[in-house]
Amino acid sequence: MNNKNLPKGFENKVETESKFKDSKSMPTQARGTMRRGPGGPGGPGAMGAMIEKPKDLKKTISRLLEYFKKSSKLVFLLIAVVVSVTLTSLISPAIQGSSIDAIKNGQWHLLSNLLIWLLISYGVHTLFSLFQSLLSARLSQSIVRSLRYDLFKKIDNLSIAYLDTHSNGDVMSRLTNDVDNISNTVFQSLGSLISGVLTIIGTVAIMFWYCWQLTLITLLTVLLTVFVTKKMSAKMRTVYRKRSKVLGRLNGEAEEMITGYKTVVAYNKEDYIINEFSGISEELMKEGIKAEILGGSMGPIMNSISNLSFVIVAAFGGYFAYTGLITIGVISAFIIYAKQFSRPINEIATLYGSLQTAIAGAERVFELIDNPDEDNSGSLKMENIKGELSFENVDFSYVPGKQVLYDFNLKVKPGEKIALVGATGSGKTTVVNLLMRFYPIDSGKILIDGNSIYDISRDELRKKTAIVLQDTVLFSDTILNNIKYARPDASEEEVINAAKMANIHSYINKLPQKYNTVLKRAGASLSQGQRQLITIARAILANPEILILDEATSSVDTRTERKIQDAMVNLMHQRTSLIIAHRLSTIRDADKIVVMDKGRVVEIGNHDELLNKKGYYYNLYMTQFAGLET
Amino acid sequence: MFKYLKKYWLLCILAPLFMIGEIAMDLIQPDMMATIVDDGVLGGNMSLIIVTGIKMILLVAFGAFCGIMCGVFATVAAQKFGNDVRKDLFSKIMSLSFEQTDHITTGSLVTRLTNDVTQVQNMVTMAIRGFIRCIAMFIGGVYMLYNQSVRFAIVALCGLPFVIFFVVFFLRKASPLFTSVQKKIDRINSLMQETIAGARVVKAYVKEDYELERFSEANDDLCSTNLKVHTLLAYLGPSMNIVLNICVVIIIYLGGITVKSGGPVSPGQIIASITYISLILMRIIFMAGIFNTFTRAKASWERIDEVLKSKAIHKNGNKKPNQKTKGKIEFKNVSFAYPEAAEEVLNSISFTLNPGETLAIIGATGSGKSSLVNLIPRFYDVTSGEVIIDGVNVKDYNLKELRNKIAIVLQKAELYSRTIEANIRWGRDEANPFEIKEAAEISQADDFICATPNGYYTQVTEGGHSLSGGQKQRISIARSVVKNAEILIFDDSTSALDLKTESLLRQELNKKFNGVSKIIIAQRIASVKDADKIIVLDNGTISNIGTHAELLESSEIYKDIYNSQLKGDEA
Repeated sequence: MNNKNLPKGFENKVETESKFKDSKSMPTQARGTMRRGPGGPGGPGAMGAMIEKPKDLKKTISRLLEYFKKSSKLVFLLIAVVVSVTLTSLISPAIQGSSIDAIKNGQWHLLSNLLIWLLISYGVHTLFSLFQSLLSARLSQSIVRSLRYDLFKKIDNLSIAYLDTHSNGDVMSRLTNDVDNISNTVFQSLGSLISGVLTIIGTVAIMFWYCWQLTLITLLTVLLTVFVTKKMSAKMRTVYRKRSKVLGRLNGEAEEMITGYKTVVAYNKEDYIINEFSGISEELMKEGIKAEILGGSMGPIMNSISNLSFVIVAAFGGYFAYTGLITIGVISAFIIYAKQFSRPINEIATLYGSLQTAIAGAERVFELIDNPDEDNSGSLKMENIKGELSFENVDFSYVPGKQVLYDFNLKVKPGEKIALVGATGSGKTTVVNLLMRFYPIDSGKILIDGNSIYDISRDELRKKTAIVLQDTVLFSDTILNNIKYARPDASEEEVINAAKMANIHSYINKLPQKYNTVLKRAGASLSQGQRQLITIARAILANPEILILDEATSSVDTRTERKIQDAMVNLMHQRTSLIIAHRLSTIRDADKIVVMDKGRVVEIGNHDELLNKKGYYYNLYMTQFAGLET
Repeated sequence: MFKYLKKYWLLCILAPLFMIGEIAMDLIQPDMMATIVDDGVLGGNMSLIIVTGIKMILLVAFGAFCGIMCGVFATVAAQKFGNDVRKDLFSKIMSLSFEQTDHITTGSLVTRLTNDVTQVQNMVTMAIRGFIRCIAMFIGGVYMLYNQSVRFAIVALCGLPFVIFFVVFFLRKASPLFTSVQKKIDRINSLMQETIAGARVVKAYVKEDYELERFSEANDDLCSTNLKVHTLLAYLGPSMNIVLNICVVIIIYLGGITVKSGGPVSPGQIIASITYISLILMRIIFMAGIFNTFTRAKASWERIDEVLKSKAIHKNGNKKPNQKTKGKIEFKNVSFAYPEAAEEVLNSISFTLNPGETLAIIGATGSGKSSLVNLIPRFYDVTSGEVIIDGVNVKDYNLKELRNKIAIVLQKAELYSRTIEANIRWGRDEANPFEIKEAAEISQADDFICATPNGYYTQVTEGGHSLSGGQKQRISIARSVVKNAEILIFDDSTSALDLKTESLLRQELNKKFNGVSKIIIAQRIASVKDADKIIVLDNGTISNIGTHAELLESSEIYKDIYNSQLKGDEA
C-alpha cells in the first residue's frame, strides 16, 4: 500500500491488522479485555470448559491440601467411609456368585443363608455410600466456603494499583468460575477418585484370586481405555479451546452491543450488528458440532470398550468354565467385577480433562491470593488534625519510565479551599491518588500536619478524608444506605440534612419509596447528575476533615452546584478541601488555584491574581467567557 | 421451542433410530452371554462359545457405530437449533425499544444469549439422546427380561413405582432449592462486582471490613443452601440402590426356587436377568439426572421466550418526509413519562427548530433535558403530543429513515473494542480515511489520535477504558460528524473537554455544519450562548425560550445560571 496517499495517522494499517489477527501478539491492554469476555460472571468461562495445563502441579495440590487440613476430621472420616464402601461393594458380587453356584449345584440350604448375607452386605454398602455423599458434600462446602472467603478478603485488600491494571472481569472470574471449577471437580469427585482407585485395586486383586488368566485378558481392555482416552483428550483439548475462544468472542460482542445499544440504534447499525453476530454464532455452531461430536463419541466408545470386556469375560470365561478352570458363578462375579472396575476407569478418564482445568483454576486462585496486601504501614493516630497539607518534591509514575508528576510542590493551610486546574492528563487525579495512598510516591514527601502520610495509619488517613469521584459509585441498596455508607450509625435526620445540602432531597422525596428506594443496576436509573448528587451527600455525611472533589459536579448544572457550594461553606469552614474541575464556576471561589500542565505546577494564585498574570489561567478563562458580555 | 426443532426433524428422527441400534446391541449381549453359559459351558459346546464370542464382538462394533452416528445427528440438530435461537434472540433484542429492555439488565440479556441458550441446547441433546435412550432401554430391558422369565419381569415392574416415587419426591423437594441457590449466587456475584468496581470508594471510606462481612454472610448463606441441596440429593442414589438390590435378591431367590422345582430357568438366565435389571433401574437413575437438566432448561427457555415473545412496540411507518425542509423539528404539546414511572418528566413541551438553526437546552439536573432529545430519534415514544420532523410525525417514519437523519452523541460516550478508525466509521460505513480524519479534526481528536503509535488503528479497549473521558467524548463526536446527518444532537457530550478544546470544536462545527439543525445540551453558558434559540428547562416544562440576550432580560433562571458561572465579574 502506498502510504503517501493516506492522511496522517492512517499509515499503520497493514502492520496492526495483521498483528491483531493472532491474539497472542495483541497488546496487553487489548488482551486484557479479550479475557474479560469469557471471564465475566455467568460467561462462557463457566461452560467453555477450556482445558488448561497447570504449571506447577505439586505446589498447587499441596496448597489445596492445606484447605483439607482445616477440616482434617472430616477428611479422615470420609476416607474411612470410602474404604468401607469399596470393601462392601467388593463383597456383594462374590456372595452373588456363590448364590448362583449354589443354585446350579442344588445346595439349597446354602442359598437362603447366602441371600441373607447378600442383603446385609447390600444394606451396609448403601448406608456407607449415603455417609460418603453426606460427608463429601459437607467437606466440599466447607472448603469452598473458606476458599471463597480467603479470596474475597484478598480482593478486598488488594491495592488500587492492582485493580487498575487488571481486568475486573478476570478478577471476578477467579472468584466465580475458578472456585466453582475447583468445587465441582476436585471436591465433589474426591470421593469417587479415592473409591475409584480403591475399587480398581480391590477388584483386580479379587479377580486375580478367582482366576488370574481371565483377569489378565480382561485387563487388556484397560490398556485400550487408557490409549483411547489419551488420544481423544489431546484432540478434545484443541477443539474445546477453539470453541471457548469463539464463545468468548460471542459473549464479548453481545455484551458490548447490548451495553452500547443506544449507539447501535442511533446509527441504524442493527442489521450490521446482527450480521456480525450471526457470523460468530455460525462459527460457534461449527466449532460446537466438532467439539460435541468428539466429546459425544467418548460415551459410545467407552460403552463399547466395556461391552468388549463383557464379551471377553463371556467368551474366555465360557472357555475356562468349559475346561473346568472356573465355575459359572465365577463368570457371574467376573461380569460384575469387570463392570465395577471399568466404571472408575471411565470416570477417571472423563475426569482427567476437568481435573486439569480445576487445578489450573486453583493455580489462578492462589496466584491472586499470593498478591501482597495493600501497604498498611503507619500507626500514627490523628486525633485533632488541623488539615495542613503539603506535597514536597513529589515525583511519581504509574509505569516506570513514564513520569506523571515532576517535582510537585504544594502547601495547603488548614481550612483552605484549593482547586486543581489543567488539561486532561496533566496529573490532577494523580495528586488525589497519592494523597489517599492509592498509589505510593516514587520520591518526595506528602505531609499532613507535618507527618508523612506513610507514618499515619492508613485507615485513619482515609477516615479523615472524604472523596467524591467523577465516576460515581453507588451500590444496589436503598438510597438511605448509600448515603449512610460512610457512617452507618447516622440518624435519619442527619441523612436528610446531607441530602438537602447536596440538593437531592426534593428529588428523593418525589420517589414513591423516598429514601427506601432501592437503586437498581447500581443506580443506572438515575441521571448522571443525580448520581453525583447522591455521592456528594454521602461525602457530606461522612463529615471529613479533608474533602476531595474530583470532577464531582461535572454533570450537575451550575445553579445546583452553586447551591451546594453555598450550603457547604459552613460545613467546610476550618476544613481543607481539594477540588478538581474543568468548569471555572466550580473553582473560582477557591483560596488557591493550582494550574497544572504535563505533571508540573505552572501557576498558583487566586482567581484575580491569576487573571492579572495573563498566563495559562487567563487563557482558560477567556475561552469560556470571551465575548460573553457583548 | 418445537418451532425451532421442526426444521431439523430428519436429524431428530435419525438420531433415535441409530440409538435404538446401539441399545439393541447392548441388550442382546447378556442374552448371548446366557447362551454361552447354558449351551456352551453347561452343554459342553466349545465351538458355540467361540462363534458366539465373535458374534458378540461384531455386535459391539456395530453398537459403537450406531452410538457415534446417533451422537453426530443429535449434536448437529442441537447445535443448529441453538444457533437459530441465538440469532433470533439477538435480532429480537436489537429490535426492541428501550421501554422493553430497560427493565432487563445487560448482564441478564447476555446471560440469556449465552448461558441460557446453551442450557436449552444441552437439553435438546439430552432429550434426543438421553431421554429416548432411557425409555428405549427401559422398554427393551423389560422385554428381554420377560423373555428370560415372566416372573423376573414382574419383579422389575414392581420395583419401578418405588424408583419413580423416589425420583419425583427428591426432585420436587430439590427444585425450589435450586432456584434459591441461583439467587444466592447472583447475590455473591453482585456484591463482588460492586466491591471491585467501587474499590476506590470502599477504600476511601475504610469499608473493607464491612464489605467482607457482607460477603461472608452471603457466602455462608450460599454454602448452607448448597449443603441442603447436596444433602437432599445424597439420599437419592442410595434409596434407588436399595430398590435395585432388593430386586436382585428376589430374582436370585425366585430363580433358586424355580430351578429347584425344575422350572424353566437356568443359572445363565439368572445371571442375564440380574444384568438386565440393573440396566433398567440404572437408566431410571440416569433419568433423574435428565429431569434435573430439564427443570433447569425450562427456566432458561422461559427467560429466552420472554424476550422472543415480546413484540417490538414501535411500529414502523412509511410516510415520506416533506422534501422541502431538511431537519425541521417541531414539538407540539409533548408530555412524557418513563414507563412504570408515576411522574411526568416532560410536560407540554412545544417549540419549532428550523433547518440550520442551533437550539440549546439548559436546565437543572433532572429537569428532563436528555429525555427531551431521546424522543427525537424515537428512543422512547411520547405519552401525549407530537414530535414532528420535516412535517411528518416521528411515529409515521420508517425507523431507519428517521434515525438516518439524526446523529446523536450521548452523555455517556459508548465506544466499541475496535480500532479508533472503525469506531469513527461506525457513523458512516463508506467513509474514506480522508473523511474520517476530517471528522476527527473537527472534533479536535486528530492530534491525540496521531500521537499514538498506531494512529487511527489504535485498538480501543472494552468500554474505552484506555482513553480519558475527554478523548472518548471527542471520538464519539467524530463518529456523529462523519455521519453527515441533517440533525445533530449533543447530549451534554462536551462536559469532559477543557474549555479551550470545546471552543475550538464549536467554531469548527459552526463552519462545517452551517445547514444542519443542531441541538446542544450543556451546562456551561459559553456552550449555549451563540445558539439561535435557548430553551430553559425547569422541572420538565419550558420556562423560557429565547436568545442569550433575550433570556438575560426575561429569564430569572437563565440569569441565575449565568451569574452562577460568572458571578458578576467583568468579562
